[in-house]
Amino acid sequence: MDTLDQDVQQVFRDVFADDELNLTQEMTALDVPGWDSLGHLNLVIALEKRFGIKFAAAEISRLKEDGQNVGSLISLIRSKVS
Amino acid sequence: MVPQVDHLRELAGAFVVAPQAQLSDRWKQLAAALKAAISKGAIDDAAVALRAALQRAELDYTTARHALRLMHPLKGNTSFRSSKIRFAILGSFTTHQLLEFIDLFLFASGVEAEVYEADYGVSTQEIIDLESGLHEFRPEIVFLATTWRDGGYSLPSNAGVAEADAAVEEAARGWLSLWTKANADMGCQIIQDIFALPACRPFVNHEMRQPGSLGRFLSSLNRALVETAPPYVVLHDVDQLAATVGRWRWDDPRFYHQAKLPCDPECLVDYARSVSSIVAAQLGLAKKCLVLDLDNTLWGGVIGDDGIGGIKLGQGDPEGEAYLEFQRYVRSLRQRGVLLAVCSKNNHDTAMSVFRDHTEMALRPEDVACFMINWSDKAANIRAIAKELNIGVDSLVFVDDNPAERAIVRQLVPEVAVPELPADVTGYIRAIEQHRYFQTLSVGAEDLKRTEFYQADAARKAAQSSVADMESFLRSLQMTARIEPINSANLERSAQLIQRSNQFNLTTRRRSVAELTRLMENPDWITVTISLSDRFGDNGLISVILACQVGKALEIDTWLMSCRVLKRGVEQAALNHLLELARLRGLESLRGEYIPTSKNALVRDHYAGLGFSQIGEGDGGTTRWELPLGAASMTNTFIQQIN
Repeated sequence: MDTLDQDVQQVFRDVFADDELNLTQEMTALDVPGWDSLGHLNLVIALEKRFGIKFAAAEISRLKEDGQNVGSLISLIRSKVS
Repeated sequence: MVPQVDHLRELAGAFVVAPQAQLSDRWKQLAAALKAAISKGAIDDAAVALRAALQRAELDYTTARHALRLMHPLKGNTSFRSSKIRFAILGSFTTHQLLEFIDLFLFASGVEAEVYEADYGVSTQEIIDLESGLHEFRPEIVFLATTWRDGGYSLPSNAGVAEADAAVEEAARGWLSLWTKANADMGCQIIQDIFALPACRPFVNHEMRQPGSLGRFLSSLNRALVETAPPYVVLHDVDQLAATVGRWRWDDPRFYHQAKLPCDPECLVDYARSVSSIVAAQLGLAKKCLVLDLDNTLWGGVIGDDGIGGIKLGQGDPEGEAYLEFQRYVRSLRQRGVLLAVCSKNNHDTAMSVFRDHTEMALRPEDVACFMINWSDKAANIRAIAKELNIGVDSLVFVDDNPAERAIVRQLVPEVAVPELPADVTGYIRAIEQHRYFQTLSVGAEDLKRTEFYQADAARKAAQSSVADMESFLRSLQMTARIEPINSANLERSAQLIQRSNQFNLTTRRRSVAELTRLMENPDWITVTISLSDRFGDNGLISVILACQVGKALEIDTWLMSCRVLKRGVEQAALNHLLELARLRGLESLRGEYIPTSKNALVRDHYAGLGFSQIGEGDGGTTRWELPLGAASMTNTFIQQIN
């Protein structure tokens, strides 16, 4: 886990109120209690604030689709901060 | 070991003053300590600290959501008495997050809200359908939340002035009829968002002059709503919120298309804070008095060291101009009814010489209702100011440039609101404005004259010390009272007094304009207002009594009075009037009730003092009293009644 992974993990812990949450690349919304559509919105808002980035409307929707996981979210963030 | 409550309060204080870079760490420390306190069952301590932390002017969405999670185990479980309100939100967008934040900030102001949210997009139906969940909920306040998309704009952009104005008029009539319906069926107060103008302007600079444009339509509609709104409707100025943060930011359409959020989610926090400040004002929780330090707060420099020629104030110097502008802002608050007090560590005569002799002072001695200039500690002086003005410590806002003084006051008098001030005087106004401390639902003649009332009080006190006995003092005042029912002319002032009075208030039942209007129309109810004048001036409307005929008794539901006119015989004059009314109706007795709160111990023996006998006792120290008409006699007062 590099710093960005850890920062993302901390945002997940804050948003989903779970200090024990350990992220893996393969995790999906189904693996994280509270990651429903409202949770997804809260996650996006918190990530935007934390990293000073903006997701496009299409990206926000796509992250919820099948086949998307924490890995794809993190690489999207990485592409925006670098 | 430091007692837990002090430790929590300290962490909350550190969070409130935290610079942006340390915000996240300080929040984590506070949140962890709050969580620990909650799990140990220290609910009251945690609630006090969370409320204190929420006084921070700027909060982000994620922190506010975290605060919500901490609030849930606290809300409704604290042992201190909170105001309660049933609050419903109706909107055409996703109102869920906004409502949660409103609930959070109401909690922060000491209000326990029971909340109701209409299903997405059915707000009009909920009002019209008498069987709806909204009607079942019986809201005291209905909040109609809007975005510009709800304005009902359908004009062709080449429409002429007549067509455009007719469309505006029709849209305004639609809202008016919705309000009328809601108020008639539910007797509720209404808060309605006016329309925030969109950032986008197809006509660019010409937008406001093009009759058929969306921008002109919405701004004309806003004006029409402001002009037609009845007193039970408060128009919430969302347009100002949007303009303040910037319209493109407010409008961020990503979250509207994604989740039907009305604005940038980060802006929801302040949106909620603004709405909750209106609800709090409705419940009498708005602040009443601004307490000001002097050196480096009202002028630059230290008068004791720099002398009257050396302090920075007035034209010709950028810093001096900024202090002058701050004074003008403070004076504008005074002119709309906020009381001013001075609390300064200084030599009294030296400091007063600035007020009297400095030609650039915008504030004059007569603008200030109470001066406390001495070397005692500020916490003690602030308590003395509250006592002198007869208002609660929790209605004070303390403004001081010195961070140490602010920290001490936060710690020792936590009820007082203490805004963080920037080091630079040019930021003072914003630092105070952000909090909406002096939120108000209406401004009447009484507000504009308030400081004069308090000054006349000081003159009366001086007269009192020169008169040997109470009776000759009262006689010397030459008091006259106008006693009349609540009517359309005094309705708003009556509602305001009901919202503001805490100390001389037997039952502390808050009633809105909407509820009062219903009581006025109900023949079982009697409404009484008293306005008092004397040779020092007009005190205005100072007492309200509401009573209901139940069988052969007149039950006094509400009896309240401004503390400015304590011990003048107004209570006796009011009792005489009530007895007279009861006799005219052929009733046999008056009944009263005292419901204790943290603030109304003053009137615990009110009914005993007026000759009532206790007939019962209820929960939480509530007492019930009765005075049979046969046992009552008219009391002499020194107040002449005029009509």
